[in-house]
Amino acid sequence: MDIAVQVRGLHKSFGELQVLKGVSLDIPNGEVVSIIGPSGSGKSTLARCVCNLEDIDQGEIALYGRRADKGGMSNKEQSQLVGMIFQQFNLFPHLSVLDNIILSPMKVRGIAREQAISKAAELLDRVGLSEKIDSRPNELSGGQQQRVAIARALAMEPRIMVFDEPTSALDPELVGEVLEVIAELAGSGMTMMIITHEMSFAKDVSNRVVFMADGAILEQGPPEQVLERPQEERTRTFLQRMLPHHTNVKGAEI
Amino acid sequence: MSLDFSVISPYIPMILTGAWFTVKASLCSVALGSLFGLLVGALRVLPIAPIRWIAAAYIYVIRGTPLLIQLFLIYFGLPSLGINLNAFTAGIIGLSINSSGYVGEIVRGGIEAVPKGQWEASRVLGLSYVQSMRNIILPQAIRNMLPAIGNEFVTLIKESSLLSTLAITELTMAGQQVRSVTYASFETFIAVGLVYLCLTSSTSLALQLIERRWQTR
Ligand SMILES: Nc1ncnc2c1ncn2[C@@H]1O[C@H](COP(=O)(O)OP(=O)(O)OP(=O)(O)O)[C@@H](O)[C@H]1O
Ligand SMILES: [Mg+2]
Repeated sequence: MDIAVQVRGLHKSFGELQVLKGVSLDIPNGEVVSIIGPSGSGKSTLARCVCNLEDIDQGEIALYGRRADKGGMSNKEQSQLVGMIFQQFNLFPHLSVLDNIILSPMKVRGIAREQAISKAAELLDRVGLSEKIDSRPNELSGGQQQRVAIARALAMEPRIMVFDEPTSALDPELVGEVLEVIAELAGSGMTMMIITHEMSFAKDVSNRVVFMADGAILEQGPPEQVLERPQEERTRTFLQRMLPHHTNVKGAEI
Repeated sequence: MSLDFSVISPYIPMILTGAWFTVKASLCSVALGSLFGLLVGALRVLPIAPIRWIAAAYIYVIRGTPLLIQLFLIYFGLPSLGINLNAFTAGIIGLSINSSGYVGEIVRGGIEAVPKGQWEASRVLGLSYVQSMRNIILPQAIRNMLPAIGNEFVTLIKESSLLSTLAITELTMAGQQVRSVTYASFETFIAVGLVYLCLTSSTSLALQLIERRWQTR
């Protein structure tokens, strides 16, 4: 089987602080993996390493069998393998929605403007924002901005999408519209790595849930198993705290 | 004492000619200085340490020494290296270099004020450093920088009076010439001062209009 993301013995420190302590993770093509875990456990750092936004200290990262860490592949090649969605959307505020989306297909992939525009229109339709094509990011709600960010990432036609808490910066009433788009994408067979605190969403869309704590993967498996019958005490405690109303976590005693 | 402006009135065209020269010199210098300053500022944030240091040293030296000394070095100093520039060229180069140091620092600040997430988003979209800088970072940075660049332009108009030391007939030099004929020092320099004030305030006003248009876009 094609391995989309392969992380081997990944170590990463910021100064004295050891953030990732030997993380290994394989994501086969087409799999949707959700990563959960307490704040500071290194989830974002792992995602950022996969997207080559951090230099790693030790270990290896490969995307579809090609080395992706430490200049193993060009920025351009990487952008066509993996797209990333940030908590803060990071749309380009000085560009219209359309220009946000077509910029890198044109500059990086060398696609003709007409073609890039029709692709952008198609993607905006997919995320339900066709009528916002000429808007500026600051004229959009957070949920709309995040959906544009998803369309922008998809315009590069990556094979893998990495989401770092895509709904954490949103007002509660806007979370649903973004999760809907991500769920649709998951259903389409895209390989995805989703860092999220939305447990029921993780359960619905993922093939696998990974629980991280203290810079290491502590437990992983099918969502029902990890979220409802966690093996590790740390996982139980975390889930209890995440879902105080949730009585489904067996064996959790606090 | 009483002021008598009628003595200098025949020389008003002379003052205005000087003023026109000041405008031209300032425009040239601000244009060249901003272009060069943009380059220096961009180099100042480059992720290549030695280049960053050179740009930092350049800014440090330019901002830490008087414009007058820089002008003297270029006009009186360079000929000893066999480089002879006429006064006008030397003046414009001196003002531009001086301005580029200040603009460079403004540009650095403007670039660093753009959130890190903008770099990261452009990076994962596959844009190269130069493409990110040109298409994403600088357009936002320039918008942040515009008020400071405007101030720099106004400063430059005033500093250009130092070109008179190279015997260039800009506004201040024109004033000195009028004074030497009329002996009406007070009147002459009041008039010259007023012309500077007109130049600086109309520049400020124009810049404010441009800024407002940019912000509403
Ligand atoms: N650039 C950085 N410099 C220094 N320390 C950092 C940096 N980035 C992250 N850290 C630290 O690394 C640790 C892990 O951070 P990370 O963002 O990966 O955690 P996380 O699991 O994503 O947490 P959260 O759920 O709060 O987003 C934290 O202690 C954080 O303060
Ligand atoms: Mg995080």
